[in-house]
Amino acid sequence: MPESFIPLAAGLAMGLGAIGPGIGIGYGAGKAVEAIGRNPEVSGTILVPMLIGLGMAEAVAIYALVIAFLLFGKM
Amino acid sequence: MEEEISIRATTIFYVGPLPVTNTIFSAWIAMAVLVGISILATRRMTLVPSRFQNLVEYVVELLLGVCENTAGRRARQFFPVVATSFLFILTSNWMGLLPGYGDTPWLRSSASDLNVTMSMALIVFFLVQGWAIKSQGILGYLKEFVVPMPLHLLSELSRPVSLAFRLFGNIFAGEVVIATITKLFAIALPMVFFGLEVFVGILQALIFSMLSLVFLTMATLHEEKHPQGGAH
Repeated sequence: MPESFIPLAAGLAMGLGAIGPGIGIGYGAGKAVEAIGRNPEVSGTILVPMLIGLGMAEAVAIYALVIAFLLFGKM
Repeated sequence: MEEEISIRATTIFYVGPLPVTNTIFSAWIAMAVLVGISILATRRMTLVPSRFQNLVEYVVELLLGVCENTAGRRARQFFPVVATSFLFILTSNWMGLLPGYGDTPWLRSSASDLNVTMSMALIVFFLVQGWAIKSQGILGYLKEFVVPMPLHLLSELSRPVSLAFRLFGNIFAGEVVIATITKLFAIALPMVFFGLEVFVGILQALIFSMLSLVFLTMATLHEEKHPQGGAH
């Protein structure tokens, strides 16, 4: 009986785990674009820190993806 | 749809008691590429560089500049680890996009193996602790753990985990995505995902090495505070 929940668990893990990073990445990129809008010269300087920040936010989604893969393999 | 790519890498042969996996073999190939480039670039070094030597020098100077921006005067001491991890991860990621790489018996992108990424993350972890002890002394190092416990302990322990899983997750998920898309529709559409993987490859290499640099810098930062605040 518990085995039948594994596909549901995998789906929920990835789905719920993507909410936070989605919001975070959108917010971060939005702030970066806003900063460029105020001051177009900094676009080169902002690019690398923005990418690093986005990469860190995305990592949280990747953790959820790994859990989903592990569950998927157990099916 | 059956499981296309397994998380566990396949073992090719054994060296004594140690298994050698396809990811380790690919890591050797990436290392050979990097060493080969270095040998070619430094074979007949001139003060006014040739084109190839100039290109390699440009990359090295770029990385050293980034280190100096973050770490200041310790840049040269952190540069080997940071630059090596960046170049190795970048080479390994981009080589993983070549034809022949995948879940094949001999070739598989090294960073798609959790063992590889975790070992790199652990090396950075031990380096950070070592540098912290070296720059603050044993007492200073231990004092960091007393002040709001368990804050410092948790943050130090979570770093190698996050470093390892971030790199592993991104590269492994890229492999699965490309395998899946190619199974679904093998013409033109996979090109989009290969482009994404090129971007992700260099981005994750950058993130791993930048974070390592930041951790190393933070570990050695306190020694500058001692002359200023006597109560540290």
